[in-house]
Amino acid sequence: MYKAGESFNFELIFMAAMSRNARYWLFQIGGWGLFALINIFFAYSFEKLQTPEDQYMIFGRLLIFISAGIIFSHLMRYIIIGLGVLQKKLEIQLLNFILITLVFAFLASTLENLFLIQFDLQNKNEREFKDNFFLLVLSGAFSLFILFFIWNLIYFMYHFVTKSQKQQLDTLKLEALVKELELKTIKAHINPHFIFNSLNGIRALIDEDPNRARNAITELSNILRSSMQTDKLESVSLEKELNIVKDYLALENMRFEDRLRVEYEIDEDTLDQPVPPMMLQTLVENAIKHGISKQITGGKIKIVSDFKDSYHELAVQNTGKLVNGTAKGDGFGLPSTLNRLSLLYGEKARFSIKQLTTEIVEARVMLPVQMTI
Amino acid sequence: MRAIIIDDERLARTELRKLLQDYPEVEVVDEAANADEGINKIDSLQPDLVFLDIQMPGKTGFDMLAELERAPHVIFTTAYDEYALKAFEVNALDYLLKPIEPKRLADAMQKLHVAEVKENHIVPENFNQSILTEVDQVFVKDGERCWFVKLSDIRLFESVGNYAKVFFGGNKPLILKSLNALEERLDPKTFFRANRKHIVNLRMIEKIEPYFNGGLLLELKGGEKIEVSRRQTVKFKEMMSL
Repeated sequence: MYKAGESFNFELIFMAAMSRNARYWLFQIGGWGLFALINIFFAYSFEKLQTPEDQYMIFGRLLIFISAGIIFSHLMRYIIIGLGVLQKKLEIQLLNFILITLVFAFLASTLENLFLIQFDLQNKNEREFKDNFFLLVLSGAFSLFILFFIWNLIYFMYHFVTKSQKQQLDTLKLEALVKELELKTIKAHINPHFIFNSLNGIRALIDEDPNRARNAITELSNILRSSMQTDKLESVSLEKELNIVKDYLALENMRFEDRLRVEYEIDEDTLDQPVPPMMLQTLVENAIKHGISKQITGGKIKIVSDFKDSYHELAVQNTGKLVNGTAKGDGFGLPSTLNRLSLLYGEKARFSIKQLTTEIVEARVMLPVQMTI
Repeated sequence: MRAIIIDDERLARTELRKLLQDYPEVEVVDEAANADEGINKIDSLQPDLVFLDIQMPGKTGFDMLAELERAPHVIFTTAYDEYALKAFEVNALDYLLKPIEPKRLADAMQKLHVAEVKENHIVPENFNQSILTEVDQVFVKDGERCWFVKLSDIRLFESVGNYAKVFFGGNKPLILKSLNALEERLDPKTFFRANRKHIVNLRMIEKIEPYFNGGLLLELKGGEKIEVSRRQTVKFKEMMSL
C-alpha cells in the first residue's frame, strides 16, 4: 500500500509540473483536432475534395465550425469555473451542464451561421432556408449541442475522476491512521504504567479513604471505556473530552498528590465546539509524562480553551523544560496529533509546542471555529 | 532484617508497608520518595533490603543503584516496564509487579531467606565498612543492560581512561570509576594490582608463567593474559609464597 501511495505521488508531481492550463489546452486541441481529422477523412473518402471550390467549401466550413467550437467551449469553461458548478450537488451539476451546453450551442451556432453567410460557405440545404435565419441557427445548434455535450462530459468526468482519486488517497491515509490508533490505543494512548499504578493506588485507598477509592474506580472505567471506542474519526464535544481529561487528572492527582496541581481556564462558550476525541487527553498525558513526572517537587498543569481570532484555541501548559528547546517528535503522541489535525482540518488547523517561560512548556492547538446550527 | 521502601508515590509505599505486615522479620525502617533521598538513607541507615521503584522523577532506580558503592539486596517494584523486566530476569533478587500479588511477595521473601542463609556461611573477616569483600555485590549499568555482580565473580578490572572495564562471565561493561579508587575499596587478599592498567582476582588465575624482565604472565579463567610488572612481581611472590 505504501508503494502504491508512492507511485501515485509521482503521478501527482508529474501532473503538477504540467500546469492546469497546459493540460486543458492539450485536451482542447486534441479533441477538436481529432474532430477535424475525422471530417477531412470522410470528405476525402466520399471524394468531396476534388475541385478547389470543394476544398474551399470543406476547409472553410470546418475552420469556422471549429473556431466557434473552441471559442465558445473556452467561454463555457469560464462560466463553469465562475459559477463554481463543480462544487455543487451532483443533480444541480447535471442540470447546470445541460443548460449551459444548450445556451452555448445556440450562441456558437448564431456566430457560425453569420460567418458562413459572410464568407458564402453555405451548403445547398442552408441556401434553401436563407431567409429563415432562426431555422439555420437551430439546425447548427443541434450538431454543436452534441459536440458541446461530449466536451462537457469529458470535462466533468476528468474532474470527477481526479477528485475521487484524491479523496480515495485521503481516505486511505485516514484509515491507516485509525488502524494505527486502534492498535496503539491501549498500549500507548493510555499507557499501561498509568493503569497499573492507578490500580495500585486504588488498592491502598480502599483502607485509607474508601469513598475516594470508589470514585477512582469510576474514573478509571471512564478512561478505559473512552480509549476503547474505536471510531477515532468522529469528533466529540469539548465538554465530553474535558470530562475524560478531568477523570484522568483526578487519578493522576491521586498518585502524585501534592506534586500535581491542576488549573482550568475554560470559556464556557467553547464547550460545544467539536474536537477530535482523545486529542486533548494525549496532550495532557504528554504534559504529565514529560513534565510533571520528571520534577521531584512536581508542578502545575493548566488547560486553556477559548476563542482567539476566529480560532478555537486549546492549550495545555505544564511545568517543565523542553530538551534542547524542542519537543521530541519521536514518540506516538505528537506525530499522531499532527497527523490527525492535518487530515481532519487540512491547512485550517495549527499546532505548536514551545517553551512559554523558563518554567512552563505550552502545547497549543488552533482549530477552525465550527458554527453550531 | 531492616528494609527501606523507595517509591515516588506515597500510596504505593503505604500499600507495600501494609503487605509487609505479614512478615514480622522485615522491619521497614524508612521510606524515600526519590533516588537522591534513597541514596542518603541507604548510606546512613545501611539497610539489608531495599524495595525499589524503577520510574521515579530525577533519576531512575537503576541510576540510583549504579551510584551506590555496595548494592544491598534489592527487590524491584514496578507497574509495567518490559525493558526492566527483561534486564532483570537473570540476576535481580526479584521483581514485583504493582499491584503486588501477596503470593508473589511470599515467593520473593522465600528467595531472600535462601540468599541470606547462603551468605551466612561465609562470615566476612573484615567488618570494615569501606572494604568490599567477596560476598558483596555491586550493581553495574552499561547503557541499557544491568547486572548485579558478586565481587567473587569478577575476574578482572581494566583501566580505560576514567572508566574501568569489569570482566565477569561473558560480559565486560564499563563503570565510571578509576582503577586507583577501586583498588582502595577492594579486599587486597583477593584483588591484586598486577600493573598500571589491571587489577586481577587472585582466585581466577589459571596459569602463571615467567615473562621478560623478571615479570610474570597470568592467564585468567576467561582466557585473558595479564602481565605483572617487575615491581609487582616481587609483591606477588611474597603473597603467594605463604
